[in-house]
Amino acid sequence: MAPARQWFRRAWPVVCVVAVLLALMYPVALLLGMPLARQRMENLSNWERASVAALPVAEADAGGSRLPLGAGPTVDAVVSGLQRGSAVLVRGEEVLATGVSVEGTEAVLPAPLPGPAVRLGPAAGPVEGPDPDLSGRVYALPDATPPGAPLYLDGSLLVRGSLSATERADGVRTSFTVPGLADAVAGSPDAAVAIVGDAPVVEGAGFERAGDVVTFARAPAFNAPVRLITGDYASLDEDAGTIVLAEPAEDAPRIALEHVAVVEGLTGAYDGENRDFRLQHVPLLERDPGRRLFVGGRELAGGDERPAERVDGVQRSFTFASDHGIVTAEGRQLVEDLDYQRDGNVVTFATPPTRNAALRQHPDYLVSDASTGTITLAAPPAPGEPVWALSYTYYSRPGCGATAFECFLSMPQHPVPFPNWIAERIVPFFTAYPFSDSRNVIRATLYTAAGTLVSLAFGTLIGVLLAVLFVRVRPFERALLPWVIASQTIPVIALVPVLVAVLGNMGVTVQTSLVPAAIVGAYIAFFPVTVGTVTGLRSVDPLALDLMKAYAASPLQSFLKLRFPAAVPYLFTSLKLGAAAALVGALVAEVESNNRLGLGYAIIGQVQAGDVADVWILLVISALLGIGLVSLVGLLQRLVAPWERTGLGGADGAG
Amino acid sequence: MTSPVISVRAVDMVFRVGKGEAVALEDANLEVMDGDFVSLIGPSGCGKTTLMRLVADLVEPTSGEITVAGKTPRQAREDREYGYVFQAPVLYEWRTVIANVTLPLEIMGHPKARRRERARELLKMVGLERFERSYPWQLSGGMQQRVSIARALAFDPKLLLMDEPFGALDEITRETMNLELLRLWQETRKTVVFVTHSIAEAVFLSSRIVVMTPRPGRIREVIEVDLPYPRTAETRESERFFELTTQVREALRGAPHVGGDAPSAAEQPLQRTAGY
Repeated sequence: MAPARQWFRRAWPVVCVVAVLLALMYPVALLLGMPLARQRMENLSNWERASVAALPVAEADAGGSRLPLGAGPTVDAVVSGLQRGSAVLVRGEEVLATGVSVEGTEAVLPAPLPGPAVRLGPAAGPVEGPDPDLSGRVYALPDATPPGAPLYLDGSLLVRGSLSATERADGVRTSFTVPGLADAVAGSPDAAVAIVGDAPVVEGAGFERAGDVVTFARAPAFNAPVRLITGDYASLDEDAGTIVLAEPAEDAPRIALEHVAVVEGLTGAYDGENRDFRLQHVPLLERDPGRRLFVGGRELAGGDERPAERVDGVQRSFTFASDHGIVTAEGRQLVEDLDYQRDGNVVTFATPPTRNAALRQHPDYLVSDASTGTITLAAPPAPGEPVWALSYTYYSRPGCGATAFECFLSMPQHPVPFPNWIAERIVPFFTAYPFSDSRNVIRATLYTAAGTLVSLAFGTLIGVLLAVLFVRVRPFERALLPWVIASQTIPVIALVPVLVAVLGNMGVTVQTSLVPAAIVGAYIAFFPVTVGTVTGLRSVDPLALDLMKAYAASPLQSFLKLRFPAAVPYLFTSLKLGAAAALVGALVAEVESNNRLGLGYAIIGQVQAGDVADVWILLVISALLGIGLVSLVGLLQRLVAPWERTGLGGADGAG
Repeated sequence: MTSPVISVRAVDMVFRVGKGEAVALEDANLEVMDGDFVSLIGPSGCGKTTLMRLVADLVEPTSGEITVAGKTPRQAREDREYGYVFQAPVLYEWRTVIANVTLPLEIMGHPKARRRERARELLKMVGLERFERSYPWQLSGGMQQRVSIARALAFDPKLLLMDEPFGALDEITRETMNLELLRLWQETRKTVVFVTHSIAEAVFLSSRIVVMTPRPGRIREVIEVDLPYPRTAETRESERFFELTTQVREALRGAPHVGGDAPSAAEQPLQRTAGY
């Protein structure tokens, strides 16, 4: 009980300081990390992309004024945009109706649909393989199927969908994670189907599934893409036109030759003058080859044209491919008749555009504000003529998370990690390699400790000899002290490469040798030892010297019995300083000599690998190593100089 | 009484202080006989300590002649004719009490067993046999000074030079130490030269008192002390003790007493150790 209490009394200030420091790491981590997380979140290139496409009607035989649109994540995403604006009903590129509204999963037409919603084409041909599990699942689409043509099975639309695994197949790995898989197939009673490369695999026989993780019986081949079907079907081979169904079907699915689809109508004033219209899903991609916009039945050309002439600051007339469009300079819209005159496809400026200005003509439209989804048409649509989007891509959400804090948590590298993340890394970090492996951290720590101790021994020897020389022979001090001081002004970082080169030439394998660390550590440690010992040797009480004189002691006796013991506390004080400094020297030497056995290389390795938590662990290890070495010196002091009253310092020894 | 143990003739001691000079001692003449207990008393700066250091060959006189045991001071020092007790105990803090006492014997090359035996003997004499394994810092000031006396006696010198050994002690401890010193002196019959500031101490201990005056340091008067032996605590209360202290006080008063505690140039080097 009593020793425990005593220990507690000694330890609690340390515990408090450590706790406060650890607690402080949280705000510091947030302070430094949140701006980065915010940047990460705001950077659109990190966002996930989603596409909006025409929604085919879900039932082939639908008719009347209410058309079912089916259900599913992709339908929900598109419908959410349609509900804000007015939808347009199209067949192919022909507008059937405008002012279509969406209620739940049904499109409500202002008037009943004339004629059938879908004209079904030929059935797909079943592909029989050796695997009985796959019978009724694999089909080949008929030749000349238009890309993106919807498939109907028994009059119902089939939804295409699959999710990819995050891991890469390396030929050995059998377990793969497919994020979102558990949710996507939760409702399906049947066995799931995976596609490895271009071969379908059925759950049970081919793989086991647990949550988002699938484990294959046979490891997928090297670099084979691993997907899991989450919709009704997925394409096996785009070129061959083969598909695999999630559930086996007795009848073959049929393609739609013609189908009615609901598309997004752009919002804006349809007054014959307004040219600005808005898309619902934002922010838009500035350049989107998949964006297909229509005015009435006419598709608008995306992209821009460059002038045939160079913009050299003198030229005023420029020739474009089209004879219509919006002209921009450096992204700024120019006004016809004010900024320029148009003559067919030649545009003439009143004042020549500045040299190398980006001069562009957007023949049909330009994206005037990607963040609000605003596009500007070159010519206003005729009154009543709808502007609609068949497909386009937008940034759906930040890839790192919904909030800046989530992005902070998911950052691959934090400037300062949370202490609990460091704590989680401790055990794996220490047990990553067996002790016999040179990458083992404890082994590396012991290696560096050995190097430091050797260096400290050398440094002390040199330091004490120099100090004795300085005190006994004054001229030596005057001659050598400037050089000793100068030696400490040379940066170790500059010294080590020279040392490594010299040692290398002498036949020392610096990559596996303690010698560089020992030399550099000694080089650093000898200085405080010299200074401390000189001070100690000179610190002798004059009366104590008189005593020696009164005993008619020889100079050697006086040195051994008086000066040297008097210097011992000073020696140890400087040795403690030297131990900490020698450790730094040894670490630097290890790094620069590429010594993979030591702690220094481990630190640099983790810094380069970007594993901040591990770097922090290594920092703590080296700090503890430093404390350990200094304590070791202290222990030595207690053994060698038991008369000392204090743990630190020796200057107050005389009492 | 045959030839004097210490003979000081016409000694001058001048210290250089910056560009000027300070006369620490002028025309000092003194003879100390075998078995004498001589006290040097006087105010600060009268050259008491200087005179001691001259005798011990810790400094050399500017002029004049000194002999110790019939030899030059240097020869006497090299022959270890005297033991010296400083104002401060000057114990080596890295040595235990017993190792401090054996230090002079070590330097003189005595065999190990004998020096421990001798040290134990001396520690017993000064009443510190239980502390032989302690380190100096574990002892009180009085105990430290007793160790220092034991050390001075270690090699059994015929002459003991004691420079205000009890100066730093409180009155009560000092009187106890006085009694002990007197007992020691009577047991060993050594010749003692004793520097003190205290009139009572000088009268109580000495067979002769040398009264000194400062600026320049001079020997003013030598007073014989005829108090009977053995001297005890009662001696301090006797009529004769009172007469003698009055005599010493008057001798001191006759001297122009300057600036009581201001250290003189001559004593300056020693002031550094005042904190010991």
